[in-house]
Amino acid sequence: MARELTMPKLSDSMEEATIVRWLKRPGERFARGEPLAEIETDKATVVYEAESDGVLATIVVPEGGAARLGEPIALLDGDADATAAPVARTPQAPTSTAPPTVTAPTPTAAHRDPGRPRATPVARRRAVELGVALFGLAGTGPGGRITRVDVERAAASLGAVADAGYDKGAVERIELTPTQATIARRMTAAASVPTFAVTAEIDMTTVVALRRGAGDLVQRMPSVNDFVVRAAALALRRFPAFNSAYADGAIERHARVNVGIAVALEGALLVPTLFDADRKPLVQISAETRELVERARRRALRPEELTQSTFTVSNLGMFSVHSFTAIVDPPQAAILAVGGIARRPQETDDGQVAFRDTLLATLTADHRVVYGADGAAFLAHVKDLLEHPLSLLL
Amino acid sequence: MPVLDFRSAVREALDEALAQDDRVVLFGEDVAVAGGVFAVTPGLYEKYGPARVFDTPISELALAGAAFGSAVTGLRPVVEIMFGDFLTLVMDGIVNQMSKYWFLTQGEVSVPVVIRSVVGAGGRFGAIHSQMPISWLTGIPGIKIVVPATPADAKALLRSAIEDDNPVVFLEHKRLYGVQGKVDGERVPLGAAAVVRSGRDVTLVSAMRGVHECLAAADTLAGAGIDAEVIDLRTIRPLDAETVLASVAKTNRLVVVEEGPLTGGWAGEVVALAADRALGDLDDVWRIATPDTPIPYSPPLEDAHLPNAASIASDVRRRLR
Amino acid sequence: MTSSAQPTVAGEPDRYLALYRTMVLIRGFEDLVQSLFLRGEVYGTTHLYSGQEAVAVGFASALDERDRVAATYRGHGHALALGVDPQKLFDEMLGRASGINGGLAGSMNVTSPRDRLIGCFGIVGGSIAAATGAALALRRTGGVAVAYFGDGAMNQGYFFECLNFAKVLELPLVLVCENNGYGEYTAFEAVTAGRLRARAEVMEVPAETIDGMSVWTVREAALRAVAHARSGGGPFFVEAITYRFVGHSRSDPGAYRPEGELERWRERDPLRLLRARLEAEAVDAATLDDVEASVAAELAEMEQRGLAAPFPEPRRFAEFKS
Repeated sequence: MARELTMPKLSDSMEEATIVRWLKRPGERFARGEPLAEIETDKATVVYEAESDGVLATIVVPEGGAARLGEPIALLDGDADATAAPVARTPQAPTSTAPPTVTAPTPTAAHRDPGRPRATPVARRRAVELGVALFGLAGTGPGGRITRVDVERAAASLGAVADAGYDKGAVERIELTPTQATIARRMTAAASVPTFAVTAEIDMTTVVALRRGAGDLVQRMPSVNDFVVRAAALALRRFPAFNSAYADGAIERHARVNVGIAVALEGALLVPTLFDADRKPLVQISAETRELVERARRRALRPEELTQSTFTVSNLGMFSVHSFTAIVDPPQAAILAVGGIARRPQETDDGQVAFRDTLLATLTADHRVVYGADGAAFLAHVKDLLEHPLSLLL
Repeated sequence: MPVLDFRSAVREALDEALAQDDRVVLFGEDVAVAGGVFAVTPGLYEKYGPARVFDTPISELALAGAAFGSAVTGLRPVVEIMFGDFLTLVMDGIVNQMSKYWFLTQGEVSVPVVIRSVVGAGGRFGAIHSQMPISWLTGIPGIKIVVPATPADAKALLRSAIEDDNPVVFLEHKRLYGVQGKVDGERVPLGAAAVVRSGRDVTLVSAMRGVHECLAAADTLAGAGIDAEVIDLRTIRPLDAETVLASVAKTNRLVVVEEGPLTGGWAGEVVALAADRALGDLDDVWRIATPDTPIPYSPPLEDAHLPNAASIASDVRRRLR
Repeated sequence: MTSSAQPTVAGEPDRYLALYRTMVLIRGFEDLVQSLFLRGEVYGTTHLYSGQEAVAVGFASALDERDRVAATYRGHGHALALGVDPQKLFDEMLGRASGINGGLAGSMNVTSPRDRLIGCFGIVGGSIAAATGAALALRRTGGVAVAYFGDGAMNQGYFFECLNFAKVLELPLVLVCENNGYGEYTAFEAVTAGRLRARAEVMEVPAETIDGMSVWTVREAALRAVAHARSGGGPFFVEAITYRFVGHSRSDPGAYRPEGELERWRERDPLRLLRARLEAEAVDAATLDDVEASVAAELAEMEQRGLAAPFPEPRRFAEFKS
């Protein structure tokens, strides 16, 4: 059963903190004491360790995101504590009508693996034979053990799968929300745009080290995505073709570099605009992005904040995606899709192999406006900026 | 078809065996002239004479030697040890002579001896005349242990035991002697269990008196919607594993009911068999036995000590929910 | 105590020559087993009969094919006296597949029904039990069952129960107590109340105490005992005074013996006594030397064959006869 993991109090004065990095992925099991996340507090970046066994089900606050003390940062599937009480059998006291039946006591549960469902041997065998998962089954056997009958009942109620027929089952019609309808319309329009995609591996080791190393000195450390947005913005200044739009046989170049930042919300995708991203220092980009994301969550964005982007950055790194190809959002000419940072082996100067923190970034572009080599050059510049991040800090 | 009581069925088997094979001899304390302290053997001495049926001194060591030595020298002795509790005095002969001869002679000479002994509680005979010695014997390779529950089986199994060329301990429950039953004369081999009641929900395995208690418990359980299968083991060693395992495969629940102390009892062997070979068929398995204490004399205490139909049924109900 | 100064072996010189050979064979066999034990080729422990040969050999000479013998774990001599193949007996000591029991029995449990040896029994008094039962069967066929045991067994329940049982049923049982003065490491007087022979006499069983070092004395007593039992007279008890020249078992160097005792008994070595008699009454020394040489040769070959014989393969044994 799911439970919330809330932002823990990692320092005395902490009121809010930022998730620097999740150390477990959604679906991954962890044991008590294992590191779960790097969280940056007002004082330091702390490795937060799990307080009990569980599974990280959903990340609520992604890397780079912040939350106040006590606010949910993730959803977990937990298990009961490991020391269930032993079920001891005591012999009945002798009476004249119910003589003592002597049966052996069951062993204590102290050594039992808490994650392993209690099922009888024949129940386990039938579960394998019938393809039934034991997790979550109610057991009617002694001590709550799952019995053969329990498994067979579960199998039967899985809809007598073999007898179900050859259709897709009942249909439930879910109407699109206006937002979703808008997105659908725009994606349909996008489908007619001829695009190409270019991917580059960007060494983020220096950025990661910078972020970690700054420690106390930076109040609100910009997120990885903030660095990417700044790099993209600077690259757009140098390669204005990517800050354009195709319009009726001509290319319209925009004077301002407004980077849209894709925000995934439940049932919707919103892309608030960070205006003049090329003119704002990293810190400001970071602060404004935080504010935009927060208002996006509250659906408190102004319409122009949703329509005036000249370029979009979309980041799925917090979902342990290594790369993806985004769809260009017309009339924009391009979109940069960013995957998660992973440790990848790289060849060093002296011919050895070392692990570096890298991410894969994919640029999708309107082929009526720019061409492959342009895309490669643009992306190479983004890569260059991120691999020499001093440029992003000045 | 004749109806006989258990003791008469035993006597008939002895009579037939003595008649058909003059190598068969019957001896023990008070078996001949007196016809046995449980009146099992009257008339045999008169019929066959002292060379074939004779009384002995109270000398279990000598009885053991007489049984073993004569069995490897051409006779087929049936020796009665008056109470199973006295088998303790015969243990050296059983363990160190009878059970080892077939092995030491590399399969050349076997020991065709039958040790008949009267066992079991419920008769108010107290701690030293009510025991069930099966568990003292189950650990001895080379000794067969036969445990009839009905008059028909008593006769058939005793005939088979006497004809068996191996040492057999044949146990007669003193509380079954008066039980009546049809005796059809059909032969029953050693080492074959019988499913005496067919069922789907739980398998009750027992021997001797326990079989009758389990059958009565099964009737009670039927009223509670629990359909019990009852197996009469008939031979403890060698155990009829196939019959037990087939039943467990069907019902998935095994209860072994033993008149004898829980710890170290033969019921544990049956459970071990199921664990070794039928784990994947088991929803549940447990034993019902007597407490790990001697048997008391006073009737309410002795009754409380023993499993009976009501206690068996209620234990099964509780466990099956 | 019965002994004789008259000519004794002259009446049956061939027989006594044969008995001499058997006794020499037993002595040599036991010496060989001892030396192989020290070399690690005989395992566990073994109980040697050296010095007591006259009892087994003298008694065996009084038995026929109807009779049966049960002996103790000190049974090599009894086995050889009954005619068990020495090579097979030897191989059994060495644990080889060609042993008389396939290597399953070893020194203490030798069994050979074909040779009329019911078995050698590891439990003190077990031989008495087995022979009692055999006697129960043999009364139909005119056979006699002989149980050998030591002075220590006289205090086991088996002795009293079986003697009473056999007397009451008038079984053809001969009980031969080889009183060698020690029950394992303890002098028998220290643990035995009264006199041994009296225990049989009190049950009205004929009983004799004889010089167990003199094979003709033993033979004569055996003939009396066996005839008595065979004729339906019931059990007969013989106490044969004898001495073992080695310790109780190979694990025992015999340090509990008083000084000089062994030397005194060695002067009454049954082999020496019989040889002297044969030389005096019936046979020349050269013949006797030949016998000894032939036994030595036989033993030498037996040793070689035994050491070269293969061990048995591990295999499953059927628990029951089917």
